[in-house]
Amino acid sequence: MKQVRALTLLTTLCCASLTAWAQTTPPPADEPGWAKGRPKSDSAMKMAPVPAFPIPTAADKLPTAKFKLPPGFKVETWASGVLDAREMRQGDKGNIFVSTLFVGNKVYVLPEKAKDGKREPKVIIDKTEQATGIEFNKGTLFFATNKKIVRYDNIEDKLDNPGEPKVLTDKLPGGSDHSWKFLRIHNDKLYYPIGAPCNICDPGEYAKIYRMNLDGSNVETIASGVRNTVGFDFDPKTGNLWFTDNGRDWFSEELPNDELNVVTQPGKQHFGYPYCHQGNIPDPEFGWGKSCDDYVKPAAFLGPHAGSLGLKFYTGKMFPAKYQGAMFIARHGPWNRTKKYADISVAWPDGKGGAKVEPFMTGFVENNSYLGRPVDFLVMKDGSLLVSDDHAGAIYRISYGK
Amino acid sequence: MVRRAAVCFIGTAALACAVTASPAHAQAKPKKPAAAASAASAAAPAAGGQYAQRFATLCAACHGANGRSEMAGTPALAGQHSFYAITQLFLFREGRRSNEGMTAVAKTLKDDDLRGFSDFIGTLPFVPPPPPATPTDSARMTKGQALAQQHKCLFCHGADLAGGQQVPRIAGQREEYLQMSLRGYKTGTRPGYTMAMTEAVSQIPIEDLDVLAYYAARFTTPPGK
Repeated sequence: MKQVRALTLLTTLCCASLTAWAQTTPPPADEPGWAKGRPKSDSAMKMAPVPAFPIPTAADKLPTAKFKLPPGFKVETWASGVLDAREMRQGDKGNIFVSTLFVGNKVYVLPEKAKDGKREPKVIIDKTEQATGIEFNKGTLFFATNKKIVRYDNIEDKLDNPGEPKVLTDKLPGGSDHSWKFLRIHNDKLYYPIGAPCNICDPGEYAKIYRMNLDGSNVETIASGVRNTVGFDFDPKTGNLWFTDNGRDWFSEELPNDELNVVTQPGKQHFGYPYCHQGNIPDPEFGWGKSCDDYVKPAAFLGPHAGSLGLKFYTGKMFPAKYQGAMFIARHGPWNRTKKYADISVAWPDGKGGAKVEPFMTGFVENNSYLGRPVDFLVMKDGSLLVSDDHAGAIYRISYGK
Repeated sequence: MVRRAAVCFIGTAALACAVTASPAHAQAKPKKPAAAASAASAAAPAAGGQYAQRFATLCAACHGANGRSEMAGTPALAGQHSFYAITQLFLFREGRRSNEGMTAVAKTLKDDDLRGFSDFIGTLPFVPPPPPATPTDSARMTKGQALAQQHKCLFCHGADLAGGQQVPRIAGQREEYLQMSLRGYKTGTRPGYTMAMTEAVSQIPIEDLDVLAYYAARFTTPPGK
């Protein structure tokens, strides 16, 4: 009896002191997710992610004339003044939808044809954080933030007042790190990622590519161990899903590489994160007791901290035969690497699970500063290729011909 | 489910930190010239002629001719980064950061004005605050330093609290402005691009936020650094 009493008293005391502690000593704020693993060196401590510039570059100051392309290709400014332009999709009636990330909080629509030489972005979704994931399918605009996925049916008939969308899910985890969305619809399934909630950590149910039916039902895992993909597309020949994946930060200036990956067995493959990077580097912390041989190796390397974003198979007819069946990849450029670089690369599947990658359009960097940063692509009906640039707030058009 | 309070984060957060608050990129740009005490004399309008003049007529009455505000609740702009300045002007103009006076001004500004004013602000050298009326409370400073460490302020604002890029300098800022800002973040009334600062400070008691404001306002980089 005495013992029980003593125990009770002890418990009471414990609780009391715990409560007191909780009241007087708040838990320290978490380290920002992006800073996990950052070395304490002076130069690393000065690096942090940078948002898009809040003002679009004026049309006459865009870097368009500085871009370099292979012979026969040309690039022109297709639209300017599109603040924070990220993902692009085209409606059946020609409208071009453009999303934004941290700065814009908007989705715009632009007309296919210029009026008096200009295309004015019209805001159709406003005041929405991480208004980033968009996809168009059979009259419907699918739209995803970090928290939910919705659909606007018959959107092209309601651009002045899109109304209330149907909610497919409002159970996405939200958060800040790698939580914005990239969407693609294939065979009536909507594919979307949930990125790792940190630079490097045990991601639990994060760090995966999922898909759902177009009404939000039947969520399935398509790929695991995917740190942060911001671009993927289906090879029109094989139907395989190819995706870019942004490698972990702070490992070193030159390692690891971003990955270009291909899913050949949906739902069954693990691409390594957080245990193994670029297929052959075990993580210094999470790699213990793991083997890189247990994870799917990348089809190709895309460069250290490259910020590999949009990926699109070229399905047009305008470009030379060499580019039919190739995929274009937007390398947005690093924020935590001393030497900056950014370009549009092109990659060809080699038929054996790998890919050959080479630069396609360069000229985004001058004096180690970004003049522009490519994000996403849209293949137009005439076969030309649109490229969005969130840094300069512009869209460029790449075409081929004498 | 892993839930984390991202302070700065990467995408959003990065910004967040950044935006509203902070990282460290600061040094990516050349450091501003150290302000001599005499910097109190109005900053030479060497750069941005037109906007130097417009600053003098539009901004100086509240923010000070040299960017060292002497008005309670109005932040010092001297020593602030142009990226941070343009971000705030943008947020005022969009109505995402609320302040009656600033919103009214920002609504009249075009994109080029935002660039011009923020570029000019970026040229204003830091001006140290006037000597405080009362002696500095060293115990409060020690506590402030510990809190700044504990709550990861330096992760974005830098060891010298001078910020960088979209992250503001907080060293030497007006105390009551810092106090008001921190409270605004805590209650969510002052968002950045994201709620990163809110996530960072929401669990910190008001008393501790006030200590942080006291500390940052009086913070000086140790000589030799």
